[in-house]
Amino acid sequence: MSFIQKHITHRDWRGFVLPVGFLVIWTAVTAAGWVNTKLIVPPSDVIAAAYKYFTSGTFFSGLGASLGRDLAGFVLGSLVGVAFGSLVGLSRWANRLAGPTFHTLKHISLFAWLPLISTWLGQGDGAKIFFVALSAFYPVALGTIEGVQGVARAQVEVARVYAFNARQLLFKLVLPAASPQIIAGLHLALIYAWLATIGSEYLLAKSGPGLGDAVIQGKTAFNVGLVVFGMLLVGLIGYALNRIALRAEARVLRWRGRAS
Amino acid sequence: MKNTLFKQIGTLVLAGLALTAMPTQAEAQPKVIRIGVAAPTVGNPPLFTLGSFGIAYTKGWFEEEFKKDGVKLEWTYFKGAGPAVNEALTNHQLDFALQGDLPSVIGRSSGLKTRLIAAATVRTNIYLATPPDSSIKSIKDLKGKRVAIFLGTNMQLVVDRILAANGLSERDLRVVNLDTGSLDAAIATKSVDAAFSFIDLLSLRDKGLAKIVYTNRGSDPTFTRQNALLVTDEFASQYPAATTRVVKALARGAHWVSQEANQPETFLLWSKMGFAESLLREDLSAEPLKAVQSPLLDAFFVSRYKDVAAASYQLKLARNKVEVDSWVDRRYLTEALKQLQLDGFWSPVDAAGKPVTTVASGK
Amino acid sequence: MTAASSIEKAPPPLPTSLPAPGLRLSTLRITALAGDFVKRFGLAATGLILPLLLLALWQHAASQHWIAEQLLPPPALVWQSLVELWGSGDLRSHIAVSLSRIGWSFLIGGSVGLALGFAMGLSRQLKAYLFPTFEVVAQFPVVGWIPLLIIFFGIGEALKISAISIAIVVPIVINTYKGIANIPNALLDVARVYRFDLPQVIARVVVPAALPSLFNGLRQGVMQAWLSLVFVELLAASEGIGYLMVWGRQLLQLDLVVVGMIAVGAIGVLLDVSLRLVEARLQRWRKVAF
Repeated sequence: MSFIQKHITHRDWRGFVLPVGFLVIWTAVTAAGWVNTKLIVPPSDVIAAAYKYFTSGTFFSGLGASLGRDLAGFVLGSLVGVAFGSLVGLSRWANRLAGPTFHTLKHISLFAWLPLISTWLGQGDGAKIFFVALSAFYPVALGTIEGVQGVARAQVEVARVYAFNARQLLFKLVLPAASPQIIAGLHLALIYAWLATIGSEYLLAKSGPGLGDAVIQGKTAFNVGLVVFGMLLVGLIGYALNRIALRAEARVLRWRGRAS
Repeated sequence: MKNTLFKQIGTLVLAGLALTAMPTQAEAQPKVIRIGVAAPTVGNPPLFTLGSFGIAYTKGWFEEEFKKDGVKLEWTYFKGAGPAVNEALTNHQLDFALQGDLPSVIGRSSGLKTRLIAAATVRTNIYLATPPDSSIKSIKDLKGKRVAIFLGTNMQLVVDRILAANGLSERDLRVVNLDTGSLDAAIATKSVDAAFSFIDLLSLRDKGLAKIVYTNRGSDPTFTRQNALLVTDEFASQYPAATTRVVKALARGAHWVSQEANQPETFLLWSKMGFAESLLREDLSAEPLKAVQSPLLDAFFVSRYKDVAAASYQLKLARNKVEVDSWVDRRYLTEALKQLQLDGFWSPVDAAGKPVTTVASGK
Repeated sequence: MTAASSIEKAPPPLPTSLPAPGLRLSTLRITALAGDFVKRFGLAATGLILPLLLLALWQHAASQHWIAEQLLPPPALVWQSLVELWGSGDLRSHIAVSLSRIGWSFLIGGSVGLALGFAMGLSRQLKAYLFPTFEVVAQFPVVGWIPLLIIFFGIGEALKISAISIAIVVPIVINTYKGIANIPNALLDVARVYRFDLPQVIARVVVPAALPSLFNGLRQGVMQAWLSLVFVELLAASEGIGYLMVWGRQLLQLDLVVVGMIAVGAIGVLLDVSLRLVEARLQRWRKVAF
């Protein structure tokens, strides 16, 4: 209760200035007829599209399906990313062996893998989750490599003096010390995973429920109101995911502050 | 491991081939029939009502056909349309596919073993739209103009034919490759001088964002695009009776749609896919539904596919030239129509789109 | 560099047994000898092991028909297409078009991203105003951006450059902002003690301390640029590497897709290496500054 109160009273109004200002200008120019309202539709069109969408009953099934794929892909990609990043960052052998390939492959558009992904995993949820995982993997792996390699040699020496074993070294020293970069990678991965979730609904062809439907249908039929609504829907849910992640991040970094 | 799998498939295919020669009652039933459609569903629960196929699907006639044998039907709808269906076919993930003419020709040319077993919605019209205040009045005025086309789709081949009929080619235009939605946006914002597309342009016109300058509607049925039902060789030779029954359900849909009395419901169902009923009626105003929904693999159908095969090879869209006559397999449709007592219901049309009176149905 | 060029230069009809001796050779060399020569060439060779293994696996998979030829074209066919496309100049013109799109987008998206990242990293006030909106906008799907951008920019280069720029901005802002926000307070306190003014703080404390993150962001920006390039060229283009790949997939000529992947990979590595060189130079300068 007190948590909620605190939350409401401490709600930072400054973040609303930009969107509200934008909304006011948007309403004004469309109402005054300064722009072609068939192209730049008034906010009321977006609200109408939203009403139609929410009453058609597609929202919850779409939300569930998209979020499920997003989280599954994100978790999978991040775990593999941290593991791979630690390995390449710590072991010179792993770095020499896999580094060049990794740094080459990371440039290859995820899109290019689609034919192969659909070959191996079909066009359904498995393929979509893999696609999301792949998009989350790269930033996490990169951040981890960056962070782990940045751990000062001196710190490692100290750890050796204390006779840390490999596991202690990794979990008590290296990963905590590398956590800012890893978390930056995770943060990006969360965004990319979400973008890839929606992208995969567009690119991996098997039809099924998903939040991207509104945007995709709006785009195909050139219904600007529906496109804008769809983007807001996707953006706001992504934002909510991010807020949750940021709270978790603050907790982790605070713990690190105490630990070190 | 893989080798034995392929051997097994090989044996199955051989067994299947042997079965084709046998009477159909002796045939084993497939456990699952996997059908892929190169179009997305809409809404929740997912709807698909397009064409006579969509009607048969919506009415549950495919399921009805196989219910008593416990055969499961597995439906896959592809948002990405053509290419994704071809990938799925290559991967042996589908037994049947509902596809447009060009993608299926491309698939065939790259070695996919399929058969064309029924037409499903033929003669889709094409429109040329410009911004409302444009001075373009005919195809000939397009010379030197920026024209949007969705390249690499069956639209491109039809456009090429229309241009050729007017003494032009793609080179005389400044062609811009845009997909359907982007093309509408480009006309609306006057970023291009004109755009070729289908019924979406009519809806743009109704919003006051475009005017229609040209359509083949009511003038030349050879400037149209076709859709057909395909089956893989593997499935067809192993389960000829089941193949016939799938075609039967489709033909039932086509028959239902072809009847005057069912038109109101037909258009109502079709309008659920996103285009207003009035636009659909306008788009289909030139010909009776019976003609457009005819499943016959007639001379018209074959000549369209031959054109697509030749043009796609010439434009290097396809690597090999597809031979259409041996690709079309009329046995299943003929049998299905016989079982439904519908032979003779549709009249075949010749290559120019004129009714043929002398030949019996489907042959 | 090494990996990409190995794919290009390796003769296509590679006997499947080739990588095995290669592997044995390089491990032998490195474990047995520790000379300078071996160190230098052995390092490059180890980086080649994995790509060669993958190439061998690819060749093997293709020759054993594990995956249909249409979906996994054999290396020889890809090589042939690569040579043909390069010879006809098509590939080069596709690359030129895509590179110019990436270049402009990187310039625009990069400057906007750095400006936003610095602004939000340095000023809590600005961050409070901008960050929430940024976070929502950053997650707008590319598919949705396209029709909106067409309304404002038409369908020319401006559309493509703006769409790619948007994709570049996101990782750069986040990395820049985080890099600055993570600077230990102690460092800033030192700056205060020295009575640095803002430009001095930025030049002497913020930039050097945030440099790794900054470059991380730039590198990821390049990656994102390639990703969205394909998306943009998928929806509205008739040239460029992305278009080549989309076209190849549309026509079930996946060798074109693989050629595109090779080109993208090679160029990506070149860009990556050049960014690293710049970073290394700046790092030196950073050490001098302190």
